[in-house]
Amino acid sequence: MMKPYKAILFILLTGAALSFLYPFYWMIMASLTPEAQIGELAFLPGQLTVDNYVLMISKIPIWRSLLNSTIVASLSTLGVIVFGSMTGYALAKLPFRGRNLLFFVIIFTMTLPFQITLIPNYILMVKFRWVDTLAALIIPALNNAFAILLFRQAFKSIPDDLIHAARVDGCGELRIIFQILFPNMLPTIITVGIITFMSSWNDVLWPLIVIRDEQWMTMPQLVTLFAVGGRAEAQLGVKLASAVFLALPIIIAYSIFQRHFIQSMASTGLKN
Amino acid sequence: MNVVHYRKQATNRALLFLLPFALALPSCHKDADSRRDFALQYWSSNNGGEIRFSQWTVEEWNSKHPENPVKYQPVPEGQSSEEIILAAVVAKTTPDIYSNIWQGLVEFYSRSGILVPLDTLDGFMEFIQQRCDSATIREITSSDGHIYQVPWKINPILSIYNKRIIEALNMGGFPPTYSTYLEAARRFQKDTDGDGYVDQWFGNTSVKLAWYQRLFNFYPLYLAASGGMPLIKDGRANFNNQYAIGAFRFLQELYRENYFSRQVEAAGQDLFIAEKYASKWTGPWEIEYLEKYKRKDFDYAFAPIPVPDGHEGPVYTYCDPKSIVIFNTCQNPQLALEFIKIMVSEEGDLQFLQHTNQLPRRQNMDTLPRFREFFAQNPRLQVFAEQARFVKGADICEVLVEVFDILSQEYEACVIYQMKSPEEAIADAEKAVNVLLRVREGPDF
Amino acid sequence: MSTQPPKYQQLRNKLLPYVIVSPYLIHLCLFVLFPVAFSILLTFHKWNIIAPMEYIGLDNFRHLFQDRLFWKAILNTGRFLLIHIPLQIVVALALAYFLNEKILMRGFFRATFFMPVVISGVVVTILWQQLFGLETGLLNRLLSGIGLARVEWLSNPKLSMASIAIMATWKNVGLYVILFLVGLQSVPKSYYEAAEVDGANAWQQFRYITLPAINPTFFMVVILSTIGGFSLFIEPYIMTDGGPLNTTLSAMLYIYKQAFGYYHMGYSTTLGLFFALLIMVVVAVQKYTIEEKE
Repeated sequence: MMKPYKAILFILLTGAALSFLYPFYWMIMASLTPEAQIGELAFLPGQLTVDNYVLMISKIPIWRSLLNSTIVASLSTLGVIVFGSMTGYALAKLPFRGRNLLFFVIIFTMTLPFQITLIPNYILMVKFRWVDTLAALIIPALNNAFAILLFRQAFKSIPDDLIHAARVDGCGELRIIFQILFPNMLPTIITVGIITFMSSWNDVLWPLIVIRDEQWMTMPQLVTLFAVGGRAEAQLGVKLASAVFLALPIIIAYSIFQRHFIQSMASTGLKN
Repeated sequence: MNVVHYRKQATNRALLFLLPFALALPSCHKDADSRRDFALQYWSSNNGGEIRFSQWTVEEWNSKHPENPVKYQPVPEGQSSEEIILAAVVAKTTPDIYSNIWQGLVEFYSRSGILVPLDTLDGFMEFIQQRCDSATIREITSSDGHIYQVPWKINPILSIYNKRIIEALNMGGFPPTYSTYLEAARRFQKDTDGDGYVDQWFGNTSVKLAWYQRLFNFYPLYLAASGGMPLIKDGRANFNNQYAIGAFRFLQELYRENYFSRQVEAAGQDLFIAEKYASKWTGPWEIEYLEKYKRKDFDYAFAPIPVPDGHEGPVYTYCDPKSIVIFNTCQNPQLALEFIKIMVSEEGDLQFLQHTNQLPRRQNMDTLPRFREFFAQNPRLQVFAEQARFVKGADICEVLVEVFDILSQEYEACVIYQMKSPEEAIADAEKAVNVLLRVREGPDF
Repeated sequence: MSTQPPKYQQLRNKLLPYVIVSPYLIHLCLFVLFPVAFSILLTFHKWNIIAPMEYIGLDNFRHLFQDRLFWKAILNTGRFLLIHIPLQIVVALALAYFLNEKILMRGFFRATFFMPVVISGVVVTILWQQLFGLETGLLNRLLSGIGLARVEWLSNPKLSMASIAIMATWKNVGLYVILFLVGLQSVPKSYYEAAEVDGANAWQQFRYITLPAINPTFFMVVILSTIGGFSLFIEPYIMTDGGPLNTTLSAMLYIYKQAFGYYHMGYSTTLGLFFALLIMVVVAVQKYTIEEKE
């Protein structure tokens, strides 16, 4: 039997949960409703249609942008994990001159707001002729100071003996990192992976600046320009369809790996 | 040296080499472009009709000049063509010819020194005098006396209205003046479902702050009222006059009385099609859109932009002009000009009209027999062709975008939110524009 | 390995760490150090990208101090933070407090509150643009349904920034619920039991046991949402373009417009640099205050 106090809490929480779920529900339903009926939609549309999706797909290269986003986010994540763990390993386990300076510089770059580097980085992209290439989205994202610090911490907690033993067996440092130590630090890798992937996947400002050609746009950028610009021709359902399309991959991934998502993102907060 | 060690060294070396290689890779494919097998490169806009027209032009040219083939490419779809051009200039990948530049931006590019002064080319002046009347030529002549653009196409802004609604108002047609317009708006405004809120409005125009939105409400009204006066003249603001103030007052009243809806257009479906708006201001592109989305029994027509009571003479409007330019990276500008001449020949203009339903900027278009034939078959466009005699483009001003931005700020404060009188708003805009233009003389931003 | 001369071995060991950090070092020089140096250089220049750079001394800074729109944008960003942070803390703390009880479907609630955090801000903004709609928006239909007056969420200059702050809270609150929950769970149950024995009521327990225990979380939330709030961009970019009457013009949106609307690269960089320094100062002051209190 539930205590009345708990019943009240339950009702409050249900109300809160509805306020989070209903808008998404409405958006999905509205995207399946004929344009003229969206204004009245509350729970169930009078009739269901996929016209909005058909029209949206014919207007913008959404599949292409899904592919771009996947490539960009995957390669950035891979880069951050590989390079981040290398640098983190060196900082944690290899003595070298300038190590403390490097550590300090990394901390400094973390406090550096991206506003400072935004425009010079754009100009760099222009000079490298990377504007309108995925390189402009991937290469500047291959390293991340926060990931380095997370890896450094993880490597620090691994006993030196393990590394010495591996060296005696004739392993090179890269093999030590990727073959011997990696299996011992899965939580850190998952955390770095999820955070990097998410922030790359959801970024809009940088793509807006360096990509102008529709075929290289990432999905959030394409949907933003579609929603802001005139090409949805004021057709609300089409716009919502593009938003649903953008949300869906993450909603699916989230419902499967929900626990990992929450843990990773909360740990970012806690460690900052 | 044992095997493990050797392998590790190889890995390290590979990693070291990986990065610079990755840096160089993406730029390769663009360099390949520099070995060109064509004489001229031409960038067109990316809408379907214009691409078909470009195809026609290039085929026409290439069949006559096989020794100097032209290659064309639509600019990538996505953001504004201005940004694309800018990126191309910086990356030094500009084409020789670009055909879709807003007239108001040409001065910015020519002052930055990236355009060819066309009047230095043989036969240009004769050609332009044949194509354009003297007013248009004055309008496109840069402050340094050169001409950097060929006026190409226009889309004049007019009032569009729902015929059924306007007839039901019994005003004897669409109201031509401010006072009749307001009266019609008063008659139409209604709270149909009795919930205490007005739910049908006489008109709608963007309430967004973006500078270019003023090209489709304030600017046409100003041009109509003033008989086509420039906003900027002799390097200073020229708009603190009864026409600009009157246009602001007219618009302010439309919003104050709730005759125009303040709903942001992106927030719902098209209320003009839903017959909640009786009219709006728009260009010929609206025809194709309406034919696609309107209900079968929805009937519409176009009328001139409203003018102050007692207005005399022709009613001007803004025409959203686009021009053709030659970039100074072009090796053979004279050849480029010859290509442009094909593009805008009588045959070229007619092809363009047929492919795109946009108007060429050519004088006396509606007197040429083949054009008359086209308009007879496309009566909806006829009214735009007639209007084409009385249109204005954009003033020559390097910072025209910022001028419109200032006007837009004042527009919002005065027209939408009634926080200033029209006199104050226009005076403040004049002051800010003059500061902006004077600052340009010395070091600036 | 026995065949290697020890000297080579030594040199190799010395160089190895540098080789391993080299990908980061190259990246650091290219995308962090160079841009910082370049942006300092740019602040003394006028540059529209296509024409050559022009040296103008301190004019950019002079202009910055007279640029009323920039100061307005900074104030707007501050106003956003002032609404957003308290709202976020209250809602997050309340939800976390409820969730800290053993309650049916706890995991489901937690996952639901967190969902908007992982979803793109673009989706959330497009969605809320519909919720905020003046005539056909869901919120106003709801208000009309229960007999209340319509609200001009985005077009009323007094409300627009608050509306955006409400939306941002809705989007981010899940993260802070989790953070608070972690904080709450760190309080030993025995404390509450002891307090109950002493006859403390629920409020007293919350005030004297819970609040002090989650103090660190509390300040972390403030700092995190300050940093996040300072980069407010995509919400006004999609929803309002900074209007009405520039009330939702955020500093980042203004910097973006200066750079990519007018191509004032030098000036925009100056604004960016100044704004970045401001963020650093604000965060440093917050950190200092927190350390004082602890």
